[in-house]
Amino acid sequence: MSARQDRRDKFASRAVQIGFIVGLLTFWYLGTAYWGISPLLLPNPVKVWHELKDVLGSGEYLPDLQITLTELAVAFSISCTSGVTLGYLISRSQYLIKVFEPLLAGVYSVPIILFLPLYVLFFGLGPGSKIAIGTTISFFPIVLNTIAGFGYVDKIFITAARSMGASDVQMFRYVLLPAALPVILTGLRIGFTVALLSILGSETIASLAGLGHKIVHLAEAMETARMFAYIAFAVVIAAFLNTVVSSLERKARRR
Amino acid sequence: MTAGETAVRVKDVSHEFGEPGDAQFVRALQHTSLDIARGELLCLIGPSGCGKSTLLNMIGGLMTPTTGTVEVGSTVVRGPLPRDIAFVFQENALFPWCSVMENVKLGMVFQGVPKSEQEDRARKSLEAVGLKDFMGHYPAQLSGGMRQRAALARALSLETSILLMDEPFGALDEQTRMILGEDLSVLLSRAGKTIVFVTHSLGEAVFLADRVAVFSARPGTIKEIIHVDEPHPRKPNFVTTEKFSQLRNMLYGLLHDEIRKAVEQSAIVGPQS
Amino acid sequence: MSGLLAVKKVLLRRPALARILVLVAFFLFWEISARWWIDPMFMSPPSRVLASLSSVFETRGVPAALRITFWELTVAFAISVVIGLAIGLAVGLSRFSNRSFMPIILLLYGTPQITILPLFILYFGIGPASKIAFGVSHGIFPIIVTIVAGVQNIKPILMTSARSMGANRWQIFRWVIFPHMIPSFFAGMRLGMTGVLLGVLLAELYVSTAGIGYFTTLFTQNFDPTKLLGLISILAAMAIILNELVRRAEVHFARWRTD
Repeated sequence: MSARQDRRDKFASRAVQIGFIVGLLTFWYLGTAYWGISPLLLPNPVKVWHELKDVLGSGEYLPDLQITLTELAVAFSISCTSGVTLGYLISRSQYLIKVFEPLLAGVYSVPIILFLPLYVLFFGLGPGSKIAIGTTISFFPIVLNTIAGFGYVDKIFITAARSMGASDVQMFRYVLLPAALPVILTGLRIGFTVALLSILGSETIASLAGLGHKIVHLAEAMETARMFAYIAFAVVIAAFLNTVVSSLERKARRR
Repeated sequence: MTAGETAVRVKDVSHEFGEPGDAQFVRALQHTSLDIARGELLCLIGPSGCGKSTLLNMIGGLMTPTTGTVEVGSTVVRGPLPRDIAFVFQENALFPWCSVMENVKLGMVFQGVPKSEQEDRARKSLEAVGLKDFMGHYPAQLSGGMRQRAALARALSLETSILLMDEPFGALDEQTRMILGEDLSVLLSRAGKTIVFVTHSLGEAVFLADRVAVFSARPGTIKEIIHVDEPHPRKPNFVTTEKFSQLRNMLYGLLHDEIRKAVEQSAIVGPQS
Repeated sequence: MSGLLAVKKVLLRRPALARILVLVAFFLFWEISARWWIDPMFMSPPSRVLASLSSVFETRGVPAALRITFWELTVAFAISVVIGLAIGLAVGLSRFSNRSFMPIILLLYGTPQITILPLFILYFGIGPASKIAFGVSHGIFPIIVTIVAGVQNIKPILMTSARSMGANRWQIFRWVIFPHMIPSFFAGMRLGMTGVLLGVLLAELYVSTAGIGYFTTLFTQNFDPTKLLGLISILAAMAIILNELVRRAEVHFARWRTD
């Protein structure tokens, strides 16, 4: 395809994308304003926008956001430290890897959200159960990636360092860690994303506070417009956090 | 350089992988003995699986022989001797997350060279291999030939008396090998080290070596040792001389049948070299 | 102590055996701690959970809820596959569609769908429809993405060979593109099943007035960890079986792929 054709194609596809989104918004507006869709099901986009401005301006979102972010921070720090530590310890021996990696991968393949009711029974409806489920679910990609990172370092690097007289500490610091880092960071990114999703999910299902709960609360109160505003808000926050974490991962992987 | 003094003594060494009776049991090396003189460049050549890399690893302390011993100077080799022996590997053993300069310095960090000396030594060896303008580059940005030069610089900066090279040019194309071989000859003639060099290439062995040890097929042992009586540094036109051809043909004669045997053996599972 | 040494040697050769031992140790730990250390209000030992599985089934409404959930899972999966395949092919086969629509699809794939779960219930009610819909909305994306990748990743040399032998567009699709895409399709289905499981189970857990969610809420509020663990185990087993079925299908049909 020639360069000119390519540019025309790029322009055309952009046009289709924009057209698609504009079309969607238009149908949304028309549907609620003129075609009689119940505002309880689909609120007017203009009203949603006003509600959003109100929520942001009044700072009403703050307590829920704070709870969600705190739960996320605590859950992620726990799963991070335990996952990396355990992953490193397992990676020290090929035998341990062969024993534990399939077990961990197997447990991860079950939808762990099933254990949420158990955690609620244990910790109640408060932040404890959210942190617990967030930690549990995000633990697995972190530990599995750490095992993969440390356990599959190209043998030639270890041999070369050994031949040059590297001590165990030097081996870890100058060879194992930098070699494993890209894979581990990917695991951390996935763990973060998954922690956020499971915390929002558990707030939706069984909670007294937090962003997920707020959305449910508004749904039950039939305040659909405000609920849409909060959904948009939550999506933006999630997107922002994920972008930050992704770019951190990419920066650290640049080598 | 005191010629005639023995740098490395290989005494009746054998090596086996696995246990007898295992499906993967392999006798890689069998009753091999060798004396390597100080300051000589010895080539180990032989078919795949003949144990030449195994022998090199044993000299360098990366593997222990099943029977027999290797002595370097007066010490029996039981593990790596980073102050006496430096390696250059075939595969890319440069750390991809470090620049060329950092790679060279890291070797010295492992060996225990004081920080004040590292910069100087690194610079000198990088200049010696012709990488003066590439010190800040990363291995991914360099060609295969340049990467092996960097690996050589790292080994040289360790200032060991012995250098072990395991098919260092094996992954490179013919033309790069030729250039690197010529440069290596010049470099090593100045350095005065004892060098053991494993290769598959007949021409490379004759061009670089003082002696060439020819291995038999697995289970490997030294079949014959050929002397190449030509002063260092070897001139590029050495390759075109009658003497070169004769030596090369001699090697071919010794090796051809062993290579055939090795190819037949490779249908049987087992670790290489 | 040569007995111990022999055991150690056997274990070293058979990691599978060691794995089983780890699992046994885990269950033993669970059994002991639940029996003697933890308040029975919060945790139940595996022996009791196993013994009372039948009582879980005898609880009125549970078998029906389980059956409905299983049905929701299979229907959602089937719909995801059909829709995912259709959209995947439509987007993947044309370079223009790919460039136009893939960014939108990827954007949707990346949004936290859990935030709109209440909307799904609002629109589809508390019955199976909303669970199926939420499951489908989780399941289609990995299928679409993998099919598009499978179609786009065909080595041009294969297309060139076919064309040089005179194949028309339909023949190229039938004999080159379609078979090439099958391994990706099955990989996508495996991920799709994971998505469907997540979507349906999330929706079920959310609706606490009917279905599985009703019983999980009931057992939780009554502090009945025995029945709760029983129910969770049954659901987990269901998930494992479904996952395994799709995985086996993938292994069987994708044998020619070397990557």
